Amino acid sequence: MNILEVRHIQKNFGKHPVLNDLSFSVPEHSIFGLIGKNGAGKTTAMKMIMGFLKPTGGEIRVCGENVAYGNTATNRFIGYLPDVPEFYGYMSAKEYLMMCGRITGLKRLQTSKRIQELLPLVGLDGIKRRIHSFSRGMKQRLGIAQTLLNKPKLLICDEATSALDPKGRKEILDLLSVAADQTTVMFSTHILSDVERICDSIGLLHEGKLALHGKLSEIKNTYRKEAVRIETLNEAQARRLLEHLHALSFIQSVERSQNAVTVQLHDPQKNGLKIIDVLSDEQIPIMNYELLEPSLENVFLDVIK
Amino acid sequence: MNGFTAFLRKELLEHVRNYKVLILLSVSAIFGMMSPLTAKMMPDILANVKVEGMVLKVPEPTFIDAFVQFFNNFSQMGMAILLLVFGGLLSQDLAKGTLIIPLSKGLSRYTVILAKYAAALILWTLSYVLAITIHYGYTLYLFKPISVGHLFFSLFCLWLFGAFLLAVLLMASVITRGTYGGLFVTAAGLGILLICQTIFRMDTFNPLKLVSENVALLTGKAEFDQLLNIAWITGALILAALILAMAVFKKKSI
Amino acid sequence: MTHISDYLPFLIPIIALELILALSALIHILRHRSFRFGNMFIWIIIVLFFQIIGPIIYFTIGRGEDE
Repeated sequence: MNILEVRHIQKNFGKHPVLNDLSFSVPEHSIFGLIGKNGAGKTTAMKMIMGFLKPTGGEIRVCGENVAYGNTATNRFIGYLPDVPEFYGYMSAKEYLMMCGRITGLKRLQTSKRIQELLPLVGLDGIKRRIHSFSRGMKQRLGIAQTLLNKPKLLICDEATSALDPKGRKEILDLLSVAADQTTVMFSTHILSDVERICDSIGLLHEGKLALHGKLSEIKNTYRKEAVRIETLNEAQARRLLEHLHALSFIQSVERSQNAVTVQLHDPQKNGLKIIDVLSDEQIPIMNYELLEPSLENVFLDVIK
Repeated sequence: MNGFTAFLRKELLEHVRNYKVLILLSVSAIFGMMSPLTAKMMPDILANVKVEGMVLKVPEPTFIDAFVQFFNNFSQMGMAILLLVFGGLLSQDLAKGTLIIPLSKGLSRYTVILAKYAAALILWTLSYVLAITIHYGYTLYLFKPISVGHLFFSLFCLWLFGAFLLAVLLMASVITRGTYGGLFVTAAGLGILLICQTIFRMDTFNPLKLVSENVALLTGKAEFDQLLNIAWITGALILAALILAMAVFKKKSI
Repeated sequence: MTHISDYLPFLIPIIALELILALSALIHILRHRSFRFGNMFIWIIIVLFFQIIGPIIYFTIGRGEDE
C-alpha cells in the first residue's frame, strides 16, 4: 500500500513555476529520500503534503485520504520535522513534548509514558534546561522525538541533517533508521551520502519534476558504468599503461590523471583479465585495481546535466 | 478540546515566563494604589506648586475623584500597556515559525485563535480585578463613601473595551505580516475611532465611549441606555473580529 | 494641612513594586545581554530612570530573543 501519493502537483510562486506536474508515491515501510539542489522545491512539496501551502493544481493523498489546504485531518497520520524546527524557548523538552502529545490527542498518562520512551531514544533524558539553551543537534533530536509521539504512519523530515556537523548528522540518520522499523520515512536532503546511507528508494527533484524515481539499488544498476580504475606507483608507469591500453579493441575510452588510469570497457569481468595480462606482460606494478561502483553523485550529475 | 487546553496551558506558561504576568499584575496593583492616593494628595501637591506667586485653591477631593484617577490611568496608560504587552500575541508565533510543529501535530487553526484570545483575556481580567480590588479598598479607607450609580456597569465598560482591543489585535495580527504588524493596525484603528469621536461626533456606536463615559456614569450624567447599546455592539464586534480572524487564519500560508 | 510624608505608608508599596519591576528588568539585562535594538547602557538607563514604563518597554520590545 502507498502511504503517500502525490499526483500531478503544480505550484507557482507568482508566475515562476516551482513544481511542474510532480507525481510520485511512497510505499509503506520504506525510507524515501527526496533529493534536489537547493531551491528545487523540496520544502515546497513537503509543506503542501502538510497542508501548509496550497497547490496550484493536482492532488495529494496520505493513507488514502485527500490532503485539504488549511486544517487538514491527514496530519494525524504524519510526524513532521521542518527544515529549521522552531520551538518555544521558554519550555523544557519535557514540557514541549507534553504539549505536543496533548495536542495530538493522547491522554496525559499515555503522553507521559511515551515521553519516557522517547527522551532516552533521542538522548535528551534528564535534561531539564529550557530549549533556548539547546544546541542545533539537540533541537533536531527534540524535533524527531516530537514527530514520533503519536506513532505516525509517515515521518516527514525536511533537510534534517543539513545544518549539522558530521557527528550530529550521524546521530540523526541513526535515529531515522531506528524509526523506520515502525513507520515510513520520507526525508529530503541535498547531501547525497546521507541518502546512500539510509534510503531504500529515492526521487530526484529537478526542474519541478521527478527526474528519477525508484529503488536505490535499481537506479544504481541502471546507471552502472562499466569502468575500472587502476593506480600505478608513479606517473611514468601510468603513461606506459595508457599507451598499451589504447591498443586493445574492447576498450571504449581511457583517461589518466597523475598515476591513476580510468578505463571504460565492455564486460569488465571478462575483459578485465586481459588488462591484468597487459599489466603482467609489461611488468607494471599497481597499487590499486577496482571496479567502479556508480556513486549517487555521478547519477545525480548525469541526470541533471 | 485536548488541543485547546494544551495550547491554552502553553499560552499561560508563555505569559508567566515572558514576564507578561509580572508586568500586568504589578502595573495593575500600582494603578490600584496610586489612583486614590493621587486624588487624595492632589490639593497638597498643588499647594506646593506656586503659579506666579498665587496659591491654587482646590476643593477637597471626593470619593468620585478617586475613580476619575482610576479611569484616567486605565483608559490611557492601561490600554497602551495592554497593547504593548500583547502586541506580539500571534505575530511572534507566526514570524518565528513556532506554530508549524503544533499545527503539524493536528492542532486546529481555530483553536490557536481561541486559545490565544482566552489566555490574553484571562490575564487582562485577573489584572483588572486585582486593580479594582486594591483601588476599592484604598478608596474606602481614604474617602467618605457616597452612593454612586452604575458602579459595576461603569467598571465593566472599561473591561469590555480591553477585551475589544485584544480581539482587534488578534484579527489585525492574522491579516498583517511581521512582528509588529498587528500592533500598528490596531493603533491605526484606535486612531480612526478617536477621529470619529472627536471630529465627526459619531457617538452612538463608538466603542471608545466605553472608556470616556465611566465617571459620567457614576455621577448620573451619562445616558445609561446608550452605553448599554454600545456595550452590546462592542460584544458583537468582538465576536465578529474573532470569527474573521479564524476564517482568514484558516486559509493563511504558514 | 497634611504633608506628603503623611502618606508614606501608602507610597511605600507603590515604590516597592516599581523597584521590583526595575530590578527584574535590570537582572534580565545583565543576564542575557542581547537586545532587539540599542545597547546595554541605554537599556539600563531606560529601565532605572523611567519608572514603570521603562521596564515594560524593555520586556515587551527591547529584550532580544532567547538564544
